[in-house]
Amino acid sequence: MTGAVSGRVDIRSGTGRIATGPVPGVLLILAAWEAGGRLLTEAFVLAAPSEVAAYLVQEWALMLRALGATLGNAAAGFAIGNLAAVALAGIALIWPRAERVVTGLALFVFCLPLVATGPILRVFFGPGAGPQIALAALAVYYTTLIPLLVGLRAAPDSWFDLVHSYGRGRLAALVHVRAMAALPYLFAGLQIAAPAAFLGAMVGEFTGAERGMGVLTIRAIRALDVEMTWALATVATAVSILAYLAIGSLARRILLEAPPVILAAPPAAGGHRSAAWVDGMLVLAVALGLWAGAIRVFDLNPFFAKGPGDVFTALVLAPDAADTRAAIGEALAETAVFLLPGYLAGLVAGAGLAVLLVLVPAVAGIAMPLAIALRSVPIVTTAPLVVLLLGRGATGTITLVAVMVFFPTFVACLQGLRQAPGQIMAVLDSYAAGPLTRLVRVRIPAMLPAFFASARMAVPASILAVTVVEWLATGSGIGSLMALSASLSDYDMLWSAVVLVAALSALGYGAVGWAERRVLARYAPEQIA
Amino acid sequence: MAPEDTTPPPKVVCTALAKTFGGGTEAVRPIDLTFAAGRTTALVGPSGCGKSTLLRMIAGLEPPSAGTIEIGGAPPAETRRRAGLSMAFQDPSLLPWRSVRGNIELALRLARCRVAQSEIEQLIALVGLDGFADTRPAELSGGMRQRAAMARALATRPGLLLLDEPFGAVDELTRSQLAQDLPRIWQARGTTTILVTHSVSEAVCLSDRVIVLSARPAEIVDDIRIDLDRPRLETTARSDAAALLIDRVFAALASGMAAARPPVAAQ
Repeated sequence: MTGAVSGRVDIRSGTGRIATGPVPGVLLILAAWEAGGRLLTEAFVLAAPSEVAAYLVQEWALMLRALGATLGNAAAGFAIGNLAAVALAGIALIWPRAERVVTGLALFVFCLPLVATGPILRVFFGPGAGPQIALAALAVYYTTLIPLLVGLRAAPDSWFDLVHSYGRGRLAALVHVRAMAALPYLFAGLQIAAPAAFLGAMVGEFTGAERGMGVLTIRAIRALDVEMTWALATVATAVSILAYLAIGSLARRILLEAPPVILAAPPAAGGHRSAAWVDGMLVLAVALGLWAGAIRVFDLNPFFAKGPGDVFTALVLAPDAADTRAAIGEALAETAVFLLPGYLAGLVAGAGLAVLLVLVPAVAGIAMPLAIALRSVPIVTTAPLVVLLLGRGATGTITLVAVMVFFPTFVACLQGLRQAPGQIMAVLDSYAAGPLTRLVRVRIPAMLPAFFASARMAVPASILAVTVVEWLATGSGIGSLMALSASLSDYDMLWSAVVLVAALSALGYGAVGWAERRVLARYAPEQIA
Repeated sequence: MAPEDTTPPPKVVCTALAKTFGGGTEAVRPIDLTFAAGRTTALVGPSGCGKSTLLRMIAGLEPPSAGTIEIGGAPPAETRRRAGLSMAFQDPSLLPWRSVRGNIELALRLARCRVAQSEIEQLIALVGLDGFADTRPAELSGGMRQRAAMARALATRPGLLLLDEPFGAVDELTRSQLAQDLPRIWQARGTTTILVTHSVSEAVCLSDRVIVLSARPAEIVDDIRIDLDRPRLETTARSDAAALLIDRVFAALASGMAAARPPVAAQ
């Protein structure tokens, strides 16, 4: 199985430093893959690397055209999404009170299921590259916005005192201190964003583009073309890893150091409980206003552009509202059966393996660079493979969700574990504490912020994974319901499902954030100061 | 053009200056202080007594809760606008992405000050960082960073120099070297210098006057004129005259720690 993960998940950057190099790990995987491919020739699930290579040589012109189209869309979306992120961060900086609303809205948009926004954007834009670019931008802006906000606050107060002591104001502080201090964080965000843009463009192409990697993927799945499916996943993986590494090396060249490890600041830090509640309502109000306003301003066709009122009618007032609710509820229940075990399994496996590797440091040297590279792979593009390998039943879907959650959690936890403060470790050493004591007393508490930040970001990511698999492969659950509603032009159902999924996703994110704040208040109070 | 070419070193006058923080912590009780133009004054006191707050108020980085500050007859904000002061912080606050020279050049740029490269080189040599001009702060030791920050503070030729424990991380030997070299600069320039320090001997050897503050909220316990000869050498610190003064500062410190006393007006 090609282990992989979407860059959309995670806003944390690796150190990017490849110490022992990923070569041993890559060779190991290639060997296992080749052996598996030879053994399973009859099963039509796995193409060996040699077969993939042969396919790529034979069909290079087709692949190159598709790759060119997808790369172009991804690049456009990457640019637009990152500009939007910089603009949003700018608003939050100039007007700090707006920050919670900006990040709340941004989170809500990030939680929109791409599976459903794709078809809606397709209707909106018509044929052409619009949806691909829009989805690439949507996949990117949040992963850039959050590190950027952290980075803009990363400079210590005394640097600002220095600027002010020479009689200069906020502009000079922004130019000479804040922007410079935020650069490494921006690069860390861009590094994750590049593969995410590629993923977004591919999902956009699933909705019916003329050309591109996504179009070929759909064709390959329909035709059960094993070599083509594997070849496409291989190319997508290679492109994502290359983009990730390229931005990492650019950052090192410019910054002369690796991008920092970034933890997303826990949402709604400090303040009064009522203030967070008020902010939540404000975000909701602004979101509803923008939604209704956009439909009016762009004068969208009411047949497919449903406003907040329409969704409320469809879910509550309409004669068939009970049926709509029942259909969505049933689909959500089906999805939850796959989603929750997969999410929890991914978290446990990621954190567990990280802990294990710290106890056996020799293996970590090989596993870490490999995991950093693999987590940049848009896992959703490998969904067809997972389904090919594990079938359309529960196992395949749960595994995919787990893998989606696993990689970012693993990388984050491993970095968290390594961040254990050296001086405290030295204190424990001076009492001759064993490796287990050090792990339990120092390393695991030091890992918690990374673990929770990862668990939080994994909520929308796992929902993306499960809905894509349901859409492309299993034909059950909320992902399938949304795809079906889109193809049947049942836009009341589609919009209702989108709103509910986004709301549940944001609630899940908030719930993990709540647990995070409670735990960090004890173990890492500096993180929520 | 350096600011001091146009303006003489300022006299600093604090009148009924007080600071109470948001949480109700009283950092500085109403205090009257005058720092003579062109002189070096040391503020000594126990940790957390509010002496750094006093310095930050004079720099205009912290608004006073009550009272006024005049620097050469103008409020701190105006002095800062004219780039008439510079401050060396407890934490060296060097920007990590700039070399030692780069940090000094940034200060000059912020202060809109033009200074010849050779003068920057001289300053770097003076603080003992020869050969480290193009090194980034991360590769310097704590003491070297503080010396770089000192060079930066001096580079803009300020009329008023505010030093907040500038030598905390510098080793003893370098410290006594700097204590001889640096005052020469600010005395040659006639800079008004206010020095906050924990080191009693440093306060005595560097200054014309030592003000001893009590535990928080800061009040003046003693105000001591230091009439040791200049230039002060390494031997000054071990002279009998210095020893007497150091004893007097220690005694004042001890009484300031013991109990809050009624405010004593200075000068």
